[in-house]
This record gives sequence, C-alpha cells and structure tokens, in this order.
Amino acid sequence: MATVGNKNVQAKLVLLGDMGAGKSSLVLRFVKGQFFAYQESTIGAAFFSQTLAVNETSVKLEIWDTAGQERYHSLAPMYYRGAAAAIIVYDITNLDSFVRAKKWVQELQKQGNPNMVMALAGNKSDMIEKSKVSPEEAKVYAQENGLFFMETSAKTAQNVNELFYEIARRLPKAEPVQHPAGMVLADRSAERARSSSCCS
Amino acid sequence: METDSARESGEEENGFTQPEIGDDDIDNVAEDFRDGLGLLSPKEKTMEERRNGTLDSDNDSDDNSRIRTVDENGNADDSSRIEVEEGQSDSSRIEVEEGQSDSSRIEVEEGQADSNRQIAEFSSENNNFVEGHKEISEAREHLEDDFSEQEIEVEAPTSPSSSGYAGGRGSSSAASIGSASGSEEIRDALRSGDGVTECFGNGNGEHRGQASWAHGKRYSNEDETSISWRKRKKHFFVLSHSGKPIYSRYGDEHKLAGFSATLQAIVSFVENGGDHIKLVRAGNHQIIFLVKGPIYLVCISCTEEPFQALKGQLELLYDQMLLILTKSIDKCFEKNSKFDMTPLLGGTDVVFSSLIHAFSWNPATYLHAYTCLPLRHSTRQAAGAILQDVADSGVLFAILMCRHKVISLFGAQKAILHPDDMLLLSNFVLSSESFRTSESFSPICLPQFNPMAFLYAYVQYLGVDTYLMLLTTDSDSFFHLKECRIRIENVLVKSNVLSEVQRSMLDGCLRVEDLPGDPTLPSDSLSFRLRRDKNLQVAGSSTGTGRNTGIGGPAGLWHFMYRSNYLDQYVASEFSPPINSRNAQKRLFRAYQKLHTSMHDKDVGPHKMQYRKDENYVLLCWITQEFELYAAFDPLAEKSSAITVCNRVCQWLRDVESEIFLLEASPLSW
Repeated sequence: MATVGNKNVQAKLVLLGDMGAGKSSLVLRFVKGQFFAYQESTIGAAFFSQTLAVNETSVKLEIWDTAGQERYHSLAPMYYRGAAAAIIVYDITNLDSFVRAKKWVQELQKQGNPNMVMALAGNKSDMIEKSKVSPEEAKVYAQENGLFFMETSAKTAQNVNELFYEIARRLPKAEPVQHPAGMVLADRSAERARSSSCCS
Repeated sequence: METDSARESGEEENGFTQPEIGDDDIDNVAEDFRDGLGLLSPKEKTMEERRNGTLDSDNDSDDNSRIRTVDENGNADDSSRIEVEEGQSDSSRIEVEEGQSDSSRIEVEEGQADSNRQIAEFSSENNNFVEGHKEISEAREHLEDDFSEQEIEVEAPTSPSSSGYAGGRGSSSAASIGSASGSEEIRDALRSGDGVTECFGNGNGEHRGQASWAHGKRYSNEDETSISWRKRKKHFFVLSHSGKPIYSRYGDEHKLAGFSATLQAIVSFVENGGDHIKLVRAGNHQIIFLVKGPIYLVCISCTEEPFQALKGQLELLYDQMLLILTKSIDKCFEKNSKFDMTPLLGGTDVVFSSLIHAFSWNPATYLHAYTCLPLRHSTRQAAGAILQDVADSGVLFAILMCRHKVISLFGAQKAILHPDDMLLLSNFVLSSESFRTSESFSPICLPQFNPMAFLYAYVQYLGVDTYLMLLTTDSDSFFHLKECRIRIENVLVKSNVLSEVQRSMLDGCLRVEDLPGDPTLPSDSLSFRLRRDKNLQVAGSSTGTGRNTGIGGPAGLWHFMYRSNYLDQYVASEFSPPINSRNAQKRLFRAYQKLHTSMHDKDVGPHKMQYRKDENYVLLCWITQEFELYAAFDPLAEKSSAITVCNRVCQWLRDVESEIFLLEASPLSW
C-alpha cells in the first residue's frame, strides 16, 4: 500500500504476466538500465527498489518481479497482497500471453486492493512486425477495465521509464481519497494494519 | 572382439573420447538400431494413433519424422526388417532372474561376444540371418519359459498403447499390456531398450567443454531417431506413470513421447507381474529404474558406474524435483492420472542439467556430506555468531556459502539440515542465474526436512560467489529476512569475513604436496595455511621439510578425500599433477565412486579397509567409526608406505580440522 509522509511516498509495485513476457527485462531496464537478450527465468520473485522524483514528491517503489511459471501462480497472492500498483505484462508477439494477462487482471480485480493502480504493458514493441495483439484491442480492453496501457520495449527502452513514472504519478492521486484529513475508515484501517506488517 | 577391446581401451584412456576404430563400430550399431526402429515404428504409430485424442500435433509431426528417418536409412524392404528383428532378438541372450529380495531384480544380460557377433552380423552381411533364424526359436523359448515362471499372463488381450494414456497406473490391470502374447510384448519392449542402449554406447560426443551444461537444455533438437542422441553415454529420463515425458537430459521431452511410453511399458509390465523392475543390463549398458509413486525415473548409462551409485543419482534427481514442487505433486496425479507435469517445471532444465553434471565431479553426490571453505577458525566463528543470532530471531536455517562450499550455517533449535538438502539447495541457487541479479524470495522444499511443505528462501549474493540463504516457514517475512541480511552483511564486512572468503577461494584447499613430512617434527603441526605461506617464502629451494619434490605428495600420494562421520562433512585435496586434466579428474572421481560403493556394499560388506591396485592408481580406502578416507597413489606406490602416508594425512587433518571443518555444526545434532 502506498504510504504518504512529508512528500515521501512508499509503494509496493508488483509485476505479473506469463513467463517470457519480459517482466524481469522491464524491471532491469528501469532499475539498472540493463538488457540481456537471454534473460534467465526468475525463481520465485525478485525484489528491487527504486526512488523516483515526481512533482516534488519522492516515490520509493518496492518492486516485486514475480516468476511467470505456472508453478508460482498459486503463490502470486503472497506478492500482490497489499500492492499499491501492478503492471501486467504481455508479449505482443504471443497471443497466449495476452490471454494470460487478462486472467491476471481478473484475479487482481477479485482479490487485489480495489484502489490498485494497474497498468497493462504490451512488451517487445521492437518486434512490431511479429505482433499478434493489436494495440487498439489492448487499449480498448485496458479502458474497459480501468487500466492504463502502454506498448513498451525493454530492449530499446521505449516507454519503460514512462511506464513506471506514470504509475508513480498516479499513486499520490489515489492516496488523498483514502486519508480525508486524518479520518480513517474502518475497513481501510484493517487493510493498512495488514499491509504495514508485511511491508514495514 | 577387436572392436570391443578397442572400445574398452578408449574408455580407459580418457573416459569419453573414442579411437577411430570405434566410430565404425558406432555406425554399425547405429544401423542395427535403425533396423530396430524400422520395426518399432509401425507399432509406435499405432500407439500414436490410439492416443491421438490426447496428443497435440507435435507428436504427430514427430511420428512422421521418425518414419521418414527410417525411410532415409533405406530399410524399405519389409522382409529384410523382419529378418533383422529375429536375428536381433536371438543374438542377445536374455536372462531373467529372480532376485533374493521381495522385489526381484530383472537382469537382461548380453554376452560381450554375442554383441560383437551381432555387430558383425548386421554390419553388412545378410547371410548370417539364416543362422539367426535357427536361434530365434531358442531365444523365444527361453523367454517364454522365464516369463511363465514369473506367472506373467501370456494371453493379454489389449494393445500396449492402452497402458500408456488410458490405463493410468500401470498396475491397474494386467490386461493393459501385451498385444498378441505377453512374452512377445516384453521381448519387444526389452529389445527396444536393448537396441537403444547398444547404440548410445559407443559415443564420443558427450564431452563438449566443461560449462556446456550451464545453458539449460542441451541438444533439444534431438530425439530418439538422432544418431547423436543415441551415442550419449548417460541419459536421464523422468516420466509419469501414464508414460508422459517429464524430463530428459538430452533431446526435447515432447519429441520423446514414444520413447517414454516404451519405458513406461517396461515398468508397468513388470509391475503387472507383482514385481518391481530395478535394472536391465544390455551389453555394457545399464538401464536403471526408480519408481517414486506416479513418477518414474530412468537412467541409461554405459559409464560403468555401479548400480547403487546410479540409483543414488536417480534419488537425488527426484529430490531435486521435490525441492521445486514438493511431494504434493502426487496429488495432481491422483486427481488426473494423465496430468502433464512439464509446464510446472518450466525453466528448470538448467537445475537438472547442473545436478547431473555434479554427478561426475561433486563427491557430495555419493558421500552424502558437504564440504567447507577453508577459513581461519576465528573467521568462521565470526560468521557463525551472526548467523546464530539471526537463527534465534525466527529464521529456520541461515546458510552462508561460497559456490558449493559452506562458510557457515546455523539452524533454529532442533532443525536439522540434511547434507543432501544442502547439495540440492545450493545446486538450485547456483544454477539459476536470476538469483544473481537481485534479492529473491522463493518457495523451496527441503525433501529430507519435510517433503510435503514449502519453505521460503531469501537468497542474496554478497559477493561474486558468496551467497546467503535464509530459510523460513513464514511466507510474509521477506522484510524481516531482508533486515537480517543487512545485519549479517554489515558484520561480515566489518569482520573481514568476505575478504577472507575471497582469499580462500584463490588459495584453494589442502594440497598433497603440503602434507607434513615427518610427524615428529614440531613445525609440521602448523596450520596448513601458515605452512603454505612458509612454502611461498622458501619457493625455489627444493628441499623443504621432507616435502616430496616430484609429482604429487610423499610416497606417490596423488589425491585424498576424507569424510568425517560425526560432522557429515568431507574435505578433498586440490587436484594436482598428474590429476590435472579434466578427464583424469573424472576418472579418479569414478574410481572413488566405485570404491565407495564396494566399501558400503550390503551383500559382502561393509568393509573396513581396501587396497586396490590397477594400471592407473593404487587406491586405498579406510573406514572407521570416525571417518572414511579415500586416497589415490601412483600405481607404483608401496603398500606399507601408502598406509603410513594415510596415517599422516589423518593426523594432518586432525591438526587443521578447525580450519577445514565447521565444528560449530554439532549443535544441530547431526
């Protein structure tokens, strides 16, 4: 959950998506500026943190890069629980990964934090000629489901920073609604207590 | 006979390479096998057809390619194929014996001379087939006799294909196997295995450089029709009880569906007889089976490793799978016997190939012990203290390692970490590149600790090769473990542990040349590290304190390995000349493995001491309650001096034990 204090925001961000969609590549490009053509499969989940400056606020993103393999699906709630934001990644050259991405969106809508900022990232936009998912289709789907959509390329770095900054920009906007002048709603406080125990 | 001896000497010379004469041999055998395939494919085709409902197009195309291959090999003539079939089955003498234990051992032995003659027969001359005809009846009688003794149903009505996907558990019905007659069915099955193994055997293709395993699946374009695939010396297969492939060391699992089904048929046929298959011997090949509930593991090897050693490797392979998925995977098979496990193992090929690679270099795979990085006692204590501190704060196990060597480890009270679990865990972490990029939090299972449950592993590299693993039962404790790691890292940096580790990695472990010369000289009781420093100072002056200036250590000592039975830890000396080529190291590794097996043989052992001499080494093994010592000497070494040197090695290790072993491990009540 995103927490605000003295213009410092801390937020948990989770990346979900099919294996090979490019979740780790996106994170590595964003956090370390690196790209590897043969990125090894992630095991479990990898943790990164990165601080961004957005409109004089510093946003510290705690990023969970989850593994896309089927055996880790049942463990995903462990990583997206309490997340303030999620990036659902699919591979534009792989229709199955788009289907899988929709399932992740459904799961988050059902199980996740209702105020979660969600982004749909169509990765590998450098291979546009092999694209199997039209950006229009993805955009329509994203709008219908309250996500924002971007086509990205971890390889060329296209839209990668934009994606994470857009999330960071949207975070503080979502926040004030939850803290109307110090008054805390009952259900939110319960959720906050839980989140603070898992991401101190 | 000539080809055979050439093959053997090739094996002896350097483990894998093959003299040129062997290549002809391979071709002959390969041709022989192609003939066998030509026979098999119609049957497999029917299997494919029957399974069509459940199979995807991959298998169909595979089937086509197989048939095409057969055609290319020019075995178009049907009648000639039949000739080959009969000849082949006759020339391999198949013996089925009842073992003493409740689960009988089936051994299919094929005489060396027979197999040679077979090769000669099928290389080019067709006139030998006549002879084959005469003997086929004999072989068939022999087989039928043996199987009727085992009370295997001969008149089983349905096709073998049904045992694959429809039959579920192989033992469910006796009717699930055998087409025309049961005995013919098993003979086909055995022969197909037979033919295959004969063909892998003579391979010289395995050794492709040390790190080639590191790239996950090797040769994924291969399948059972590829000659290169058949030449591989050591295959590992994992399949489900319905015959679905789960893992294959070489080749793509999906393309090997037919081959998996064959293996499944062999297992379930024997199970239908109320028995369990353990081993099939075919020429110099062994086919080892391990059944673990719904999962079958098979090793096909011509490496001459002992059966017990190969079986142990299959056990580890199975445990590695449990480490990734836990034993609750069995439930998936209970719900759906046709369950396809391959997607669950996505991306883990590299873990298995690295483990299989370890079977040929890491003594931990059969000693069931771990090894420590040599460190000053005070350094290790500093690391141990902070790990213990963390372990007391709710971490189940805190393990600090450098590559496959332990720096220090600590477990919460009463938590016992088995050396095999450590081997598999470190293999898992080391082989998965993703752990190196960032901190990770991943579910893992320690099969010896609790095969049913996941633990959560926080893994972070603290240096190039140094990594910390914190295991917990609480899936929410990532941030707690992260704090623990920060605390540990601070202490390790402050107390210079990490730089000591780097230095130790450069220095290496014990060297046989450093073995103290005369135990009565007091200066020799110095730690080996100090001794090494001293040696560096006197470098050049060849007359050290009783140091052997020739190759190896005193009395021709080349290498040793010592396992402490109290600590479940081992230490091995660094390889030094003449054991400096990788082939020589692998050969010594296998020799130790053989020695280990024979020392622990339950039928004739266990032994206390063994002195073995061949053209390569003098090998000496000595087992007491306290330790196991394995030593390799120059083949010309004298027995009495070898024994004296072994005593000196033991004394030396006792003197430096606080540096080479983790003595604080005893609170874990090993």
